[in-house]
Formats: sequence, structure tokens, C-alpha cells
Amino acid sequence: MTEPLGPGPEVPASSAPTRDVPLVPDHEDRWHRVHPISPLVRGWLALAAIAYFFGRDWFESIFSGEPVWLLAEGRGFVAGAILLGVLLLLVGGFLLSWWFTRYQVTREHVRVNSGIVFRQHRQARLDRVQAIDVIQPLLGRIFGLAELKFEVADAGESAVRLAYLPLASAQQLRATILARASGAETDPEHPDEIHEAPEHPVLAITAPRVVGAALLSGSTAALVIMVLVIGTGFAVGHALDWSSSSVILSALVPGLIAVLAGYWSVFTTAYNFRAAVSPDGIRLRYGLLETRAQTVPPGRVQAVAVTQPLLWRFKDWYRIKVNVAGYGVSAENAGARTTLLPVGSREDVMQMLALVLPDPGTEDPFGVFGAGLAGKDNDGGFVTSPRRARWLSFLTWRRNGFAVTRTALLARSGRLWRSLAVVPHERTQSMALHQGPLARRLRVADLQLHTTMGPVRPVVYQMDIATARRLFDEQAARAAAARRHSLPERWLEHQPEYPGQPDQQAVGLAGQEQDEQH
Amino acid sequence: MRSEPIDPEGISWIRISPKFITVQLIGWAIGAVIVVALASVPLVLLLVGVWPGFPAWLAWTLSVGTLLVNLWMGVLIPRQVRAIGYAERDEDLLIRRGIFFQRVMVVPYGRMQYVDVAVGPLERAFGLASVKLHTASPQTNAAIPGVPAAEAARLREQLSARGQARLAGL
Repeated sequence: MTEPLGPGPEVPASSAPTRDVPLVPDHEDRWHRVHPISPLVRGWLALAAIAYFFGRDWFESIFSGEPVWLLAEGRGFVAGAILLGVLLLLVGGFLLSWWFTRYQVTREHVRVNSGIVFRQHRQARLDRVQAIDVIQPLLGRIFGLAELKFEVADAGESAVRLAYLPLASAQQLRATILARASGAETDPEHPDEIHEAPEHPVLAITAPRVVGAALLSGSTAALVIMVLVIGTGFAVGHALDWSSSSVILSALVPGLIAVLAGYWSVFTTAYNFRAAVSPDGIRLRYGLLETRAQTVPPGRVQAVAVTQPLLWRFKDWYRIKVNVAGYGVSAENAGARTTLLPVGSREDVMQMLALVLPDPGTEDPFGVFGAGLAGKDNDGGFVTSPRRARWLSFLTWRRNGFAVTRTALLARSGRLWRSLAVVPHERTQSMALHQGPLARRLRVADLQLHTTMGPVRPVVYQMDIATARRLFDEQAARAAAARRHSLPERWLEHQPEYPGQPDQQAVGLAGQEQDEQH
Repeated sequence: MRSEPIDPEGISWIRISPKFITVQLIGWAIGAVIVVALASVPLVLLLVGVWPGFPAWLAWTLSVGTLLVNLWMGVLIPRQVRAIGYAERDEDLLIRRGIFFQRVMVVPYGRMQYVDVAVGPLERAFGLASVKLHTASPQTNAAIPGVPAAEAARLREQLSARGQARLAGL
């Protein structure tokens, strides 16, 4: 893959799919196109809708014996013309949009030009990358195509979406972008040669655990409640001799659909979940029909939350969510992107936390983080709410609390739905102390830490007012100090060699080293 | 103004302009008149006899209740405005607000993405402006309303300069 690229900007991607990847930094006038059948993969829904619309008429006519309205005497020509016109418009539109969409990856930037009537030129700095996703929808998998998403800190919309590239090209492009964004030095003898950074597998979620997680999710609780309610309804109805059984049963259907949808979403997002670590950051791969490979470079995770739904307590399972500036809160995929670990044991949680927080900043990470996950009172060095706060939170006052390590603040809360939020000091944006009238009477206050948009909202609840004020002041100082020493945006810039050995320290917290696998 | 238990020690708050009380009161008066008028529609209809079926107690409660709530909100405004304050420290800016539900926020200069200075028609008439700080977090709701225009300009320059000196990506 080190052959020089053919000259001219108009090389269609299909003629040399593996070669037409911007391995060398593109010149200003050198552009690439996405794969020519991308419009089909993107627009299959529209085509399917047309096929359904016309197909249904035709299909029904077979059974009913009546002639299709559209194909009836004298209408055949009109129908054909309409069908052809719509198809031509669609295909033409897709083709034009494909033709006018071009991209290039230079040493510093990625640029995308798109639009037919309203042209759009977009340029993003490579070192501002927050995350890169390689996504394969079902149809994309059939054709061996993948979409590449380049995220910058822009809460929501992807900065750059290249849909679709051949899978190998997408992966190569990802490696190239990450290598340039990291500031890694290339091999002086082969400056064009960019190796995908070597990976260490960290963990994989087995299918039985995914099923277990789905079965122990809120959907099951909803199902049980539904069955109980309906059972009672039946019993009462029977006793009173109502003839309402069918009404009750029909009410069951939407509920059942919702429950099944819940199971399905847990299953598809957690299915075949694998996490790995490389010098380019954390790699997550998952998906049943649509597969995704997410890469989050080092230092891009703004906040982490480990939560435990009530029913998972039996198995001591947890879920990890993260705030990454590029992911935002897009409705797409219902939060699967922000999930660092859909379901995992305490050990798995420790391993994933180790990836996010290579230096836990404490001598006893298991003790401190373990206490954060499931502990209460002062174990693990946590400071909890004073006893008088029980009037405000009868169940959780012994668990609401915080602990501070050299590198992060841990905010613990929740008794039944346990939750632990971890914010690295250098990622704290701003903070606020809150106090309502009741809290003032009880001399407690909440400390809210502000991070980028995402599912994690770290709050230290109901601390003694003096403690809260001290934490507020100290945390502001700690955050300021940590910012001065934080990792550079180009995370490999100061390292002498590349591709280097993956950071062994990264798996240090879990005390477990994985064999290198390629 | 006395120091609240939630305020950090050794901070002397810079209070916003008292003229902002007038601005808020004018805004409140307009809003209150509209809301009370709307809430009184059933009562008026009842008294005029257009809608005799409407329960009288409900009409009166609605009308009088809305009036009282709005009056109470108006009474609170001067205290609320006086509770707003800010303080510039070496590394960060502190902003406080609220009487019942108090909040003290700290925004590090190095975290600021941009600073807004906004002026509405009412504020302009009184020579005031609002300064708003934005970080990468949508939760950072760091607005300082009712700052004299000259002070707002100074704050903007000061904050931008300090932000640049201490800039730290995300």
C-alpha cells in the first residue's frame, strides 16, 4: 500500500479502491471521491419505498384477480413514465450529489466539498479530532463498504462524514488521520508508510452476558409490572363478569412491542462488544446488524459515569457512559456511542476505567474506585453527607459523597441505582455550588461539575457546607494546576518513536497485561 | 450585602448596577399585566354573564392567585438583583446569584470559549449590558446581567485577554 497514487484528481475510487486512499498528504488540488455505489447504500430506503409502493399494487392484483389500477387499459404508459421519471430523478440526484462530493486529507486538515446548488466547503484541523467512527450498516457490510465519521468538539453534528468507502480504505484513512493528528513522527525512510497503531484487546462481552443484561434490564421490570396489572385486570374483570378481556389484551400489544424494542436495543448495541487499547486511544467495536468501530484518542474523554441499574445488582454488573466532546447528545443510535461498556463485571469496569484514566492518582485504585462503585460511608477515603442530610435523602445520605485522587474527582451517589461519576481534574470546565432553602437550613450544599455535552452530569450531593466550600476552592485550584500539565492535543508529539509499544501503563490499574494480538 | 454561607471566604463581590432593578421591574410589570389579564378572562366572562356555568370559586382563585404570585415575584426582584454579583480572581471568575436557591459558579479563564456582550432595548435605555461566558459545557450558564456598558466592555476585554493567556484546549 505504499505505491504512489496515480496522477490527477479524478481517479474514481472504484478503479483502485485500496490505492485511492490519501496515504501521503494530499496537495491542495488533489481530491478523492467516495465509492460510486454509496448512493445506493444511502438511498436504498427510497428505492425500497418505491418498490413497495408499486410492488404492493401488483402483488395484490395477483391475488384479487383484478387488474392493477396503474396498469389498467390505457394507463400503462403513464404509469411507466411516472415510475421511470421518479427513478431517474432519484438516481440522478444521488449521482450528482456523489459526483460533487469530494474530500482530501492534507498534512494538517481534512476538507470536504459537497452540495450541488448550494456548495459547501468544510475544513477541519486534524489535531482537533475528538473521535473517529467507522460504521458499517447492514447493506454496507454486504458491499464491504464503511462510513467514516470524524468528530470535533461541536456537540452533535459530525464534522466530516465520508459515506461510503471500502472498509480497508476507511480503516487506512482512520489510521492516517490518527497518525497525523497524534503528531507522531513517521519513519524517515518510508515517510508514506503509515501503520495502524498496534492494538491490545482489553475485554469482550460474551453473548450470554448480553442476554443476561437484556433480561435484567428495565424492560423486564416493565414486563413483570404489565403482566401483574393485566393479571389483576383479568381477575377483577372475571369476578365482576365484565366482557373486557379483549380490551385488556389489546392494551398489552403496544406494551409488549415497547418491551421487545427495549430488549432489542440492549442486544444490538452490546452484541459482540470488544474493547481494545492502542497508542491512538480506546477502540470500541460492537453491533449486530450495523457494526461500529469507535476510536477515542487519549485525553478526549471528558467525564465518566459508572452506573448500576437496580436489577444488575444481583450479578454485580455495571455500565459505563462517557462524555466525549464530539459525540454530543445526537439522537442517533440512542446513546450507544457514548457507552464505553454496555455491561461488565467490576473487574471489567476497573479495566475500562484504567484506559480512560491511565494514572488513577492513588496508591489503592481498587479500594478507592471499588468504594465508589458499591461502597458507602467513609470506606475508600470518601467524604459523605453529614448525618443531618438524611432528612433530605433518607436512603442515599450514606452513599452521596466524593473522593479526590491526584488526577480525578469521584462523585458517588445513588443507593438503589448506584452511580459513580469520575471527572479528570484537567477536564473540569466550570463548577457551581447550589443551595436551596431546605439545604441551607441543614447547612449542606451540592457541587455540580460542568463538563461537555453528554450523558454524564457529575454532582456531589449534599455536602456539609464547610466541606463543600473547601472542595469548591480546592477543586478550582486543582483543575487549574492540572490544566497546565495536561496531555498535549497531539498526544504522541513528544514520544521519540512510532509505532511504539503500546502504553503498558494503560492496563496497569487492572494489574493485567494482555498478549499482543494482531 | 451580608455574606451567605455558600460564598467562598475572602471574596468581595462586585454588585451589578442597581438600575437593573428598574429594568427588571419594567419587564416584570409588562409580563405580570399580560399573565394576570389572561388568568382573569374566566372571571370577567363570568361577571359579564357570558359564561355563567364557570365555577365562581375557580375563577376567583385563578385570578387572585395569579395576581398574588406575580406581586410576590415583583417584591422579590430588588433582592434578587442585589444577590447577583461577580468577582475576578487570578485564575477564574466567580459569579453568584439567587436568594432562595443560591448558586456560586466558578469559570476558569482558560476554559472560556467566547464572551458575549448583549444589550436589549430596555437595558440600552439605562446604559446597561449583559455579559455571558461560554465554555465547552452547555451547563455553564454564566451570565452577568445589568452591568454598566463601560464595565461590560472592560470585562469583555479583560476576560478575553486572560482567557487567551491561559488557554487550554478542551
